[in-house]
Amino acid sequence: MIMHFKRQWSVYLWYLIIFIGLIITILPFWWGVAASFKSNSEIFRDLAPINYKAFIPGFSLDSYFAIFENDFGRSMLNTFFVSITSVAGGLLINSMAGFAFAQFRFKGDNIIFGFVLLSFAVPADAIAIPLFKMMRQIGWFDTFYALIIPMLANGLIIFLYRQFFLGIPKELIEAARVDGLSWFGVFWRICLPLSVPVTLGAGLLLFVFQWESYLWPLIAAPSPELHLIQVTLGRFSTEYEMVWNQQFAASSIAGFLPLVFIYMFQKQFVSALTGVEQK
Amino acid sequence: MNFFKRQWMVPYLFLAPALIGTIAFKLYPIFIGFWESLIYTSFSGGAEKRIFVWFENYQYLFDDKIFWKSLEITAFLTIIINPLQIAMSLGLALLLMRKSKFIRIIRSLYLLPIGIALPIATIIWGLMLDPNQGLINGLIGVFGIPPQPFLVSENQALWCIIAIATWKGVAFWMLFLLAGLEDIPKQYFEAAEIDGATPFQKFRYVTIPQLKRTILFVFVADTAANFVLMVPMIILTKGGPLQSTNVLIYEGYRSGFYYQDWGRSLSIVTILTVITLIVIGLQLLFLSEKNEGIKVK
Repeated sequence: MIMHFKRQWSVYLWYLIIFIGLIITILPFWWGVAASFKSNSEIFRDLAPINYKAFIPGFSLDSYFAIFENDFGRSMLNTFFVSITSVAGGLLINSMAGFAFAQFRFKGDNIIFGFVLLSFAVPADAIAIPLFKMMRQIGWFDTFYALIIPMLANGLIIFLYRQFFLGIPKELIEAARVDGLSWFGVFWRICLPLSVPVTLGAGLLLFVFQWESYLWPLIAAPSPELHLIQVTLGRFSTEYEMVWNQQFAASSIAGFLPLVFIYMFQKQFVSALTGVEQK
Repeated sequence: MNFFKRQWMVPYLFLAPALIGTIAFKLYPIFIGFWESLIYTSFSGGAEKRIFVWFENYQYLFDDKIFWKSLEITAFLTIIINPLQIAMSLGLALLLMRKSKFIRIIRSLYLLPIGIALPIATIIWGLMLDPNQGLINGLIGVFGIPPQPFLVSENQALWCIIAIATWKGVAFWMLFLLAGLEDIPKQYFEAAEIDGATPFQKFRYVTIPQLKRTILFVFVADTAANFVLMVPMIILTKGGPLQSTNVLIYEGYRSGFYYQDWGRSLSIVTILTVITLIVIGLQLLFLSEKNEGIKVK
């Protein structure tokens, strides 16, 4: 009887902690989305004094129309362009490198692989300032090149592909070689089609990485025509400091797509990130 | 045609694009950063003049109170934020290991901050923490707590940034720990249970040793990430109020982009890189067992 009571008690405690944690996790998000459908005066009215209405979505789309008049659409298109080209280019070159590490033994392979591992220990923001100087020297400053090309090679993704390609049976590749397929054919026609799960996860990582990048696009491409979505968002928060509903609307749109993708491919995303196969 | 027939070339051809990208844009900038930190750029007479000054930029830095203050804030932030985030991520991962009807949906909901970019999280939290009309002051007012200044207070701003970064970071690091926890064979826990281990003993003698490599990886990666945390400073505080959130990376950013003092900027970045490497080296030295690399997967 007492055992039973104790067990119940710990379950309730667990639910209580989980519930409080969930509130803290979701509250900012919920409030922001709810407020994005209100006018500014409504937002402030619901806050002073605070009442339950602050968490109930309004039904005005004015803030959304307003941000698109403010060049938000342009930065969305830019971000789509940069993200999609980065995913395509990044998947291609990193899977090729992963293939090389998995299939071949060659001079310096261990050292080169060590460099690749080292490169993903370097946080992108730490090299942003010297990289910015470099872009100016080679004339890529304030162009799409600067936004895309330096971000393509990615140690983590090379590593993921290498692990996956190591698992492909050698006999399969040898048979294809005997049939006269070139090495690129083996890679393109046999290995790559098999790697759908890795490709989904890796592609998602590259996409989210570009969609969410802020510092690099802020310093590497300051022209408004090249602004990416997070940069525009940051600009809104200083230029329209008191226009809360537009900040919320812009944040909601910018946050929507990565969330949808992450939840759609949660398993692949988590696998790619942690390197542990999800059940 | 003959060119491609040479078998030894094949792996290098496959490797070339990614390798060039890695070297040119990830490793080489570290050296550029150091090299440029030895150069003084003067703009006298309208023309840009670059002078090689050895370590003079560093000398100026070491005589500068702002730099030392910034270093102090960085050290404080590092000591607080990393253990806090690791402890919370581990706690959350353990909580989410429990079996429940709703565990799938609960886990999914906790992943939400991973999908919210840091600038978005920063902006929304900035509005929540608004001293006049913010949600948080409204909520604590319900409990009779007077409104707080939060980001405009010298004493609270850094704590607010810690809160924002932790809100965003905990779910992310938790993912690794959760994956590590699920990798521990169930038999270990069953064996411990048969031996009559208490939950705490199971945690201490099964979970922690089994999870050690994952924790080490998360600790190192989190530390490296937090050394360059500056999005909240760029968007919300600009290093203030009264330099209270002016961490090294932000001071480096500001020296370059606001004052065009690239020598100073890159000296700071170089110092920060060296500090990061030393701290990570120490973590690896003290926390990893001998003859054992970190498991990067």
